[in-house]
Amino acid sequence: MSTGLRAATRMALRDQRRRPLVSILIVLVPAYVILWSVAETKPTPRTIALPGGVWVTTTMRALHGPGMAELMVAFLAALLGVFVMRSALEGDRRLVLAGLPAHDAVLARITVLVAATVAAVLVSAGIMAMIFTPASWPPVIAALMLTGLIYGAIGALIGALLDKLAATYLILFLVMVDLGVVQSPMFHSVPVSAAWLLPGYPLDRLLYDGAFAHRFHATGALLLALGWLLAAALAVQVVLRRAVGLTTG
Amino acid sequence: MSAFVVTSGSYVREQLRAPLTLALLVAIPVFFVLIFASVLGEFSRALGGTLQARSATAISAGWAAALLSGTLAYFMVSSSRSADRRLALAGLGPVRVALSRIAAALALGAIVTIVAFLTLWVRSGIGHPWHGLVAIFAFAAIYIGIGAVVGALVSDPLGGSLLVLAVFSVDAFSGPQMSSAASGIGTYLPTYHAANLLIAAGVGDRSPLVDWRGVALIALGALGVALAAFWLSARVRSPR
Repeated sequence: MSTGLRAATRMALRDQRRRPLVSILIVLVPAYVILWSVAETKPTPRTIALPGGVWVTTTMRALHGPGMAELMVAFLAALLGVFVMRSALEGDRRLVLAGLPAHDAVLARITVLVAATVAAVLVSAGIMAMIFTPASWPPVIAALMLTGLIYGAIGALIGALLDKLAATYLILFLVMVDLGVVQSPMFHSVPVSAAWLLPGYPLDRLLYDGAFAHRFHATGALLLALGWLLAAALAVQVVLRRAVGLTTG
Repeated sequence: MSAFVVTSGSYVREQLRAPLTLALLVAIPVFFVLIFASVLGEFSRALGGTLQARSATAISAGWAAALLSGTLAYFMVSSSRSADRRLALAGLGPVRVALSRIAAALALGAIVTIVAFLTLWVRSGIGHPWHGLVAIFAFAAIYIGIGAVVGALVSDPLGGSLLVLAVFSVDAFSGPQMSSAASGIGTYLPTYHAANLLIAAGVGDRSPLVDWRGVALIALGALGVALAAFWLSARVRSPR
């Protein structure tokens, strides 16, 4: 790691630490939403389709825990993506002009985004573990991590293209519609026909497979989610490099 | 034309200078009502709430107005401090700056309200349209107050937008309409009376006076608080 990259990463992380309210909210908001929503949900029986043609009968309450954990990770990561990108747009171009290599500036911002996403995933998974034990943890953690990274990247892209008000509106709406309604097995026993068009489709298939199936059936979903992540990460890298002034145009 | 009207108009244009923001202010309430209407009834039943399908459609219009107006008011306050102080120093004064901000926020809240109202009307009909319109606008006004207070206290946009979202989550999903357990505490939530009014309007029931009084008190109180928040942001601190 170069000295420039180390310094830029340290400064970017310090920039985040200067905002204690964000750290508090990253814990309190998921804690309230996940614990309250599960406590309030009735244990009404619900049969849903999992990947691989497996059907499982569970309850609305059991479905709500992983669903809300995923929703919280997506909200937090996407908003973090928006504002990390906006910080980059405001400050990093000057750093690059002052001599910091552009790829160091980009890597530092991506490091912050990934670190914040890991924190959001750990918090949400930890809170979920207090009220729900999935059949298999690794797919659940993978789904939450991929949710954070993909939505963090989407947030960063939206943050680069729109002003902060429009970006916030779009993030709130996209996450609620994708993960809150279209993909949720609380409302659709089988994913709706156009669900695969949204990034939440493979994430939810992976999440609920891990939550309720003892054998892994979600290889296709995992690969599709990794494809989304790769595409989103490449797009973020290109946009960030443009944002800090490393363009030929 | 008075400075107040010019400044209010400028504040509205400031928020809408990106065409996509206007498009989202119109599109989100439409989609919110159409998409959430189909699932909120089921969601309420899962939580032990009492919302029936038509009531759920109605309340989704109020939530759209609340969330969009709260976020808007937050960014209006948090991102305009230095500009507003200069305007106040240049002769407009903090009170007129604050009034202009409130007028602009209410104008944008009215756009969201009208879009949500019309979508609701077309989607499922409204038994008492005027009551419904007042109730949706009350959601917007209450959240303009909440967003402005958060904007006055929290300058970091990530922390502020998360806080507005946190307040909205508690308010929307802990109310007695959405859950069985929160009927005591839920009646103290900011949009409790507005939600009662909107649900009654949706199905064509008369609303009790207590809900009208409650909505008037809370909405006017929220706007008063928002005015104070805008005034605090525009106030010029004397040098020490």
